Amino acid sequence: MPKYAMVIDQSRCIGCMSCVVACKRENDVPPEHYRTRVLEMVSGEFPKLKSELRSELCNHCDNPPCVTVCPTGASHKEEDGSVQIDRKKCVGCKACVAACPYNARYINEEHGYADKCSFCQHRVRAGKQPACVATCIGKSRIFGDLDDPNSEVSQILRKHSYRVLLKGAGTRPNVYYINQFPKKS
Amino acid sequence: MAFSRRNFLKYAAMSAEGTMLAETPFLSAKAREKAEGGNVHYVPTTCEMCFWKCGLIAKVVDGEVVKLEGNPLHPQSRGRLCGRGQAGIGLLYDKDRLKVPMIRTGARGENRYKQASWDEALGFVADKLKAIAEKHGPEAVALFAHGSPGTYFNNLVRAMGSANVAYPSFSQCLGAREVAWELTYGQGPNSTCERVDLANSRVIAMFGTHLGENMHNSQNQEFAEAVGRGAKIIVVDPRYSTAAGKASMWLPIKPGTDLALLLTWINIIISEGWYDKEYVAKYTTGFDELKKSVKTYTPAWAAQETELPMRQIVEAVRDLGRYAPNVMLHPGRHFSWHGNDTQRGRAMAIINALLGTWGRPGGIWLPAKLDLPPFSENPPHPEEHKDAVVFGDYPFAGGEGLTQVLRDATIKEDPYPIKAWLVAGTNLLKTMPKQALTRKAIDKLDLLVSIDVMPTDTVMLADVILPEATYLERHDGLYPITTREAGIALRQPAIAPMYESKPAWWIGSELCKKMGLGEYAVKDNWEGRMRRQAKAWGIDYDELADTGYISIPGSAAPYITATNQPTFKTPSKKIELVSSELEDEDFDVVPKYEPIEQPKTGEYRLLYGRSPVHTFTRTVNNQWLWELKKENEVWLNNKEADRLGVKNGEIVRLENQDRVRSEPIKVRATERIRRDCVFMIHGFGQHSPAMSRAYNRGADDQNLITRYKVDPICGSTGMRVNFVKIIKEASNA
Amino acid sequence: MELTITGANAITFPTLHIWDWRVAIYLFLGGLVGGLLTMSGVANLRPGKVVPRDQPCCWRIPLIAPILLSVGMFFLFLDLELKSHMLWFYLTFRPLSPMSWGSWLLVLIYPPMILYAFAAVPDALKAKMKDGFLKSFANRMRPHLLKLARINFVLGILLAIYTGILLSTFAARPLWNSAILPVLFLASGMSTGTALMIIMARKNEVKLFFTKVDIWMIFTEIMILLLFFYGHYTSDAVHRNAIMPFFNTSHQFFPYFLSIVALGIFLPLAIVLKFLEVSGDHTVELSPSGKFLMNASAVMVLLGGLVVRFALVYAGQLSGYGLM
Repeated sequence: MPKYAMVIDQSRCIGCMSCVVACKRENDVPPEHYRTRVLEMVSGEFPKLKSELRSELCNHCDNPPCVTVCPTGASHKEEDGSVQIDRKKCVGCKACVAACPYNARYINEEHGYADKCSFCQHRVRAGKQPACVATCIGKSRIFGDLDDPNSEVSQILRKHSYRVLLKGAGTRPNVYYINQFPKKS
Repeated sequence: MAFSRRNFLKYAAMSAEGTMLAETPFLSAKAREKAEGGNVHYVPTTCEMCFWKCGLIAKVVDGEVVKLEGNPLHPQSRGRLCGRGQAGIGLLYDKDRLKVPMIRTGARGENRYKQASWDEALGFVADKLKAIAEKHGPEAVALFAHGSPGTYFNNLVRAMGSANVAYPSFSQCLGAREVAWELTYGQGPNSTCERVDLANSRVIAMFGTHLGENMHNSQNQEFAEAVGRGAKIIVVDPRYSTAAGKASMWLPIKPGTDLALLLTWINIIISEGWYDKEYVAKYTTGFDELKKSVKTYTPAWAAQETELPMRQIVEAVRDLGRYAPNVMLHPGRHFSWHGNDTQRGRAMAIINALLGTWGRPGGIWLPAKLDLPPFSENPPHPEEHKDAVVFGDYPFAGGEGLTQVLRDATIKEDPYPIKAWLVAGTNLLKTMPKQALTRKAIDKLDLLVSIDVMPTDTVMLADVILPEATYLERHDGLYPITTREAGIALRQPAIAPMYESKPAWWIGSELCKKMGLGEYAVKDNWEGRMRRQAKAWGIDYDELADTGYISIPGSAAPYITATNQPTFKTPSKKIELVSSELEDEDFDVVPKYEPIEQPKTGEYRLLYGRSPVHTFTRTVNNQWLWELKKENEVWLNNKEADRLGVKNGEIVRLENQDRVRSEPIKVRATERIRRDCVFMIHGFGQHSPAMSRAYNRGADDQNLITRYKVDPICGSTGMRVNFVKIIKEASNA
Repeated sequence: MELTITGANAITFPTLHIWDWRVAIYLFLGGLVGGLLTMSGVANLRPGKVVPRDQPCCWRIPLIAPILLSVGMFFLFLDLELKSHMLWFYLTFRPLSPMSWGSWLLVLIYPPMILYAFAAVPDALKAKMKDGFLKSFANRMRPHLLKLARINFVLGILLAIYTGILLSTFAARPLWNSAILPVLFLASGMSTGTALMIIMARKNEVKLFFTKVDIWMIFTEIMILLLFFYGHYTSDAVHRNAIMPFFNTSHQFFPYFLSIVALGIFLPLAIVLKFLEVSGDHTVELSPSGKFLMNASAVMVLLGGLVVRFALVYAGQLSGYGLM
């Protein structure tokens, strides 16, 4: 079974927000709700400034607090490594929204269930890339199977030093960040 | 990258065998539909959320467009769409869209219209145009256009015998750049895209070019590729843009002093020997005169003038020199800044020539070879009745015309009255500086016709509003696409036009018929015409309709080789470092630096630019883009904010030197901009209540641009010459 | 640092906004009912000083407990975003999910509670009842009263503890993520339960007795609160920041500051008042002013319990790991 993960090369992100829009269109996310977001952080004092661009999404953790806390089993970890929500079973108690330290979840107000990034499972099963990866202008998002040593994600993680968000939280996330800042040769 | 025909056939064979979708890129709409089954329908077409002309594939399920994705075969999109492209569905299904032809019943601006049938509306327009042409001559009818609808109304206006056509993209945008490069190289740096080989550049220097906020798809893809590869980025910009955030060197230059820096760089390149000696000897003329002319521009002087550290000035150009010729001084895009813009463009073109980037990897690739016979199904247009009034006294005004000249002629009725304006695909009020003048000109008109998709401020002044179908609902093309190679693309509808909207080709054609100019109308429909055009060009239309882009084999010849030599359409047939054409017109043959007026303390130069999720006013009402950026803010240096006692997020107004005040706008107190300027995104401050989301959000920068400096060489309007004060809301009366 | 976020969800940015007064009230009622069950258990079980079985503390309380708990559950139900799927709580049991434990506990607690209520019905009331199922069932349960009282004594404690367990398991919300939280809610539950006993009791000795108990409860609660804040203060930056709203007098955080002040006033004041009563002479007559003070101090305790729940539910949603 594959173990899906995403690598984000922050230096290549140019903050175009295409991922944010593509994801919404692909997954019918309601207005003013988002499954992914982009942060721009500029620090320093004029003229010595430094900028970091970072996109965030559900990390599809290996130790997902949202799955642990779910009272009905709606939030569950699947065999392909992704964390999914069974909308049939969701009661909208919002414990998962509280449990996620990455604030990856939201409530679909029209229907009441909790929702989040699904790694575009429907696309992946059809042999396509997740919508955000497919459209990323900077080729900043890379998606693939960590259980395949020859996949792009596996190769990147062997070659680059990487970090994850909130490592100390013990969630064992599956979104890896490389090149936090552009290489300034 | 786009595939050649040979590759296409290879992959087509693979697809026929049923090879997995994951491994084969999109090849054919039909093949993909078959593979996916169900009620899905894929339509390759061309985007028009901006003007990059990306190829996209629209996914239609049960008659509804559900997703837009980039066409992997198309070089402008390469399988990816930017945020605006992805949000095209938001335009298609925007409830605020223009739906029905409307004829004004109240006074202009009162917003009182009655709905009309197409017959009635077109008849009304035709009758009025005929009357105006009879009374004042056909030259009294003028067209302002941007984007694809322009073609069809240009046809109409010229068929009438008028040559009064102006595209804002020249004088309000890149005209000066084009002219500068034409004077130097014999042609501009632009094909369908700027021919900047960013993916292979080792050093990329940009003056004000804000890639990352300027979201031109494939160019940004290559920029990101360069950044990801570790190319050295040098950004010269008074504001810390997204591109500056990627740069190893950010030069926060004093606005208006760019030419000082450029001329100093030329001096350093020559005096320190960074120029490509062989290249310069072989392909350029005027080197010695250039060398003499720039001697006075020293780093120490430049440091004073630009307020940049001398070390930075020297290091930056040395980096360019060190890695030349595989470097790029980006030609820029929106170029009409201060009124001396052609000369600034000349300096940039000269630097590229000295470094030998024209025709080299990482520089400016040579234009693709494209030799298509002209195609027309209509008789040639009649000779214009009278000379066009769109060129003014500017010897190098481009064929696209000068909008402000046309406007002034309309106001003054000199040399002859202009009584009708057709405005297609451009929000003229927000596009042209000195909005009061645009209004004044409109007041002189007997007829203002607006062909558009959204009820913008300009549309809501029109006498007749003709609802155009969106790009997802119509045919346009065929589009020759010239990037590193040449190819043909098309636009075809994903769904039929909604409401009563009609494609612009139909509107133009019907007007021709109603004007008694039926021989200039479309024979049957635009698809039919495109099929015949494809046949004339040796292209299989059905294949094109299935793939969205067909590459022309053998058209790519990007770099200079022994057998691929560049040609320069200049008088000397060489790259003119010293411009003979400028000499003929008594302009400086080599750019000379003149300081421009600077704001006083407490005043700030108004700078404007883009957001990656917006295309100025075209997108501010789009649900999926609006919710990401609902309004603009005015970027103000933190120290200035402190000095004025203004807090981040506070609402203020801007007041310019002509005492014109802006709408309320939020302050963004930041370290990311110099103290002598402010910045805002262009496209907000919409006053049309019909644009329900965009209505009264943010402020309109164009409203504050009541002063502009016209470039004497090409006539473009330098708009970054307005100085504003910050007025705190509390002190507003 | 200049931060721009595109694509933040209002439900989690700038702070979490998922639970409101409905959850706070449920937590309060849950704790209160826990306290009621335990304290009425005490009332029924106390050796020595006999509380006559016909006293309100002994039978009214067990009767209103399930009603109050149902009200709390109702508020909790109101909070669900997908109410029609509610049955799914009970179609499965997730051993690692404290919410699953809680949903089952809240259902399984009803039978013992109801049996207890029946068992506690006093003879005098039974005499007035019509013959029928209710009367005969009450009679059948009466012999088991002491056993049921013991069971409910324990269940009450578990219920009060549980109300704090769910919140304490959210590592993502540092203010809640403390082992002390269930202990705090236990103490608060017990003290509010005791306070209600005081108000409902008729006999002075009973009121006095529970006043003494409440003094200990409140004292414990104050200690635990102090340790709760101290524990966060001496933990890492994220935890320290989590308690900052309570000590911030700015406009934005004033309600939290006010809640600390209120607790700082209600609870000690309640103790003082109770102490005054206890140290006075209350053998036979309770003067009207005395009665007033006793009830007032009990009301203060109840208010304090509400404040604790509201403050923690809302302030907890302000806390988080912030920028990662």
